[in-house]
Amino acid sequence: MIENYLHLLSITILITAFMLVANKRVNEYIKTFQLQSLLLAIIAGILGVHHVSQTGDWEILLVAVITVAVKVVYIPYLLRTTVRKVEYKVEKDFFWNIPISILICCGLVLLSYFTITNIEDISDRFVKIFLINSTAVVLIGLFFMISRKKAIGQIIGFLVIENGLFTAAILSTNGMPMIVELGIFFDLLTAVLIMGILVFRINESFESIDIDKLKNLRG
Amino acid sequence: MNYLASFGLQILVMVALAPLVNGIIKKVKAFSQKRKGPPLLQLYYDLWKLFKKDTVVSETTSWIFRITPYIVAGAVVLAALLVPVNLNLPSFHFAGDVILVIYLLGMARFFMVLSGLDSGSTFGGMGSSREVMISVLLEPSLLISMFTIGLIAGSTSVYSMMISSAGTGFLLFQPVYLLLFLAVFIILIAETSRIPVDDPATHLELTMVHEAMILEYSGKHLALMEWAACIKQLIFITLLANIFLPLESFLAFASPNSTLMSSLLLYLAKVIFIAVLVAVTEISTVKLRLFSVPNLAALSFILAFLGFFQYLLVGR
Repeated sequence: MIENYLHLLSITILITAFMLVANKRVNEYIKTFQLQSLLLAIIAGILGVHHVSQTGDWEILLVAVITVAVKVVYIPYLLRTTVRKVEYKVEKDFFWNIPISILICCGLVLLSYFTITNIEDISDRFVKIFLINSTAVVLIGLFFMISRKKAIGQIIGFLVIENGLFTAAILSTNGMPMIVELGIFFDLLTAVLIMGILVFRINESFESIDIDKLKNLRG
Repeated sequence: MNYLASFGLQILVMVALAPLVNGIIKKVKAFSQKRKGPPLLQLYYDLWKLFKKDTVVSETTSWIFRITPYIVAGAVVLAALLVPVNLNLPSFHFAGDVILVIYLLGMARFFMVLSGLDSGSTFGGMGSSREVMISVLLEPSLLISMFTIGLIAGSTSVYSMMISSAGTGFLLFQPVYLLLFLAVFIILIAETSRIPVDDPATHLELTMVHEAMILEYSGKHLALMEWAACIKQLIFITLLANIFLPLESFLAFASPNSTLMSSLLLYLAKVIFIAVLVAVTEISTVKLRLFSVPNLAALSFILAFLGFFQYLLVGR
């Protein structure tokens, strides 16, 4: 029964990845990422409550709380302040138009399906489905990174890849050791902080956060 | 139950209930804007008035323009026969399946597009080309969703689909059905020219799609066209209500002797629920630019695709 809800949530995460590819504005990227992280936190919360009631093990519940604090509240706040400070123009941000990007993402889902079904050692049917869905999220995050021109889009793509990995880990292994989770969260925070500063610097020297401009020579 | 009686009841419900759905949607919209809005039965009065009026036909049009209202109304009513209102009314289910329903509606649309072009006015041509573009974008996702449900049911007949989904309790918690429900809901919005795609309330030339095609019609012809549009909307709502919201299993305990009456009431409740859902969508969204409609269609397509894909993975 619980697998059914987790299946539903893992698909919803996949759909938010598609929504991200279909979005056009930077603020909407951040909002969609926030939604995706919230769904992730709900997954962790359901698993956490399940574990507490079964074994009295509260670590996954703690992970859910940290996910809400870091990914739903703090990182979107950081990204919003970065966007607000950087001089920001509404302009075309993607190389391919949206229907084509979405069709490419459908292809990525199929790719992850054919890859994961070839692994023979996964016996649990639901674990296989979870792995397929979250691998697809990782691939879509990668695609998002290469298809956007602005530096903020790349940060969001990186965060979505991390979300996909996190979903795969938590759904297929019933939670990693606490110390690994904490390490990942701090890595992520530092990465976003550093990338935010990097965006500032790019904006200062090129008067735009379009990464195409990085090809220009500056003395 | 007598075959002829069930046949008559099916056609009566579909044809007579259709304008009421429009009234409900308008009422909800007016309520959200703190207006009183037109009365629930306004469209019936309008149709009655139009049926009494003379028709004016432009001299430059050919026979296609005159024959189109009858073809459209006939095809749509025939399609309505193939979508059973509830399980107690099997009616025509053996004679055609959901593919026939989709392409009967497609034929109605084809003639509507031709008549839009036939009058030679600029609006008609514009509306026709837009309508064709939107329908081409939506057809793949509609077919994928219907085929997926057909695979689950083991048959493409609407009646078998209803039987297969009626046996399984509350379906929207199952990912396959939820995804397909959302995909078909987007198609419902787009096919019945509701707000994110087309605005049914205005005659502003830059935005209209469906209204532009039937702009040259008047009197009885216009009444037939509008009624056909309502019935088409009710067909999609019935598909959604009966395949994705099967609540018949709750009704089985209620009272064994009044099943037909109570199942019809249940059907009415489901239709009203979906009509309110449509109205809420109309209230909470803005009209898209025409060139953003492909993005909405792409969203519907990925929902249908993911639904089909999860069916392949889970096998329901």
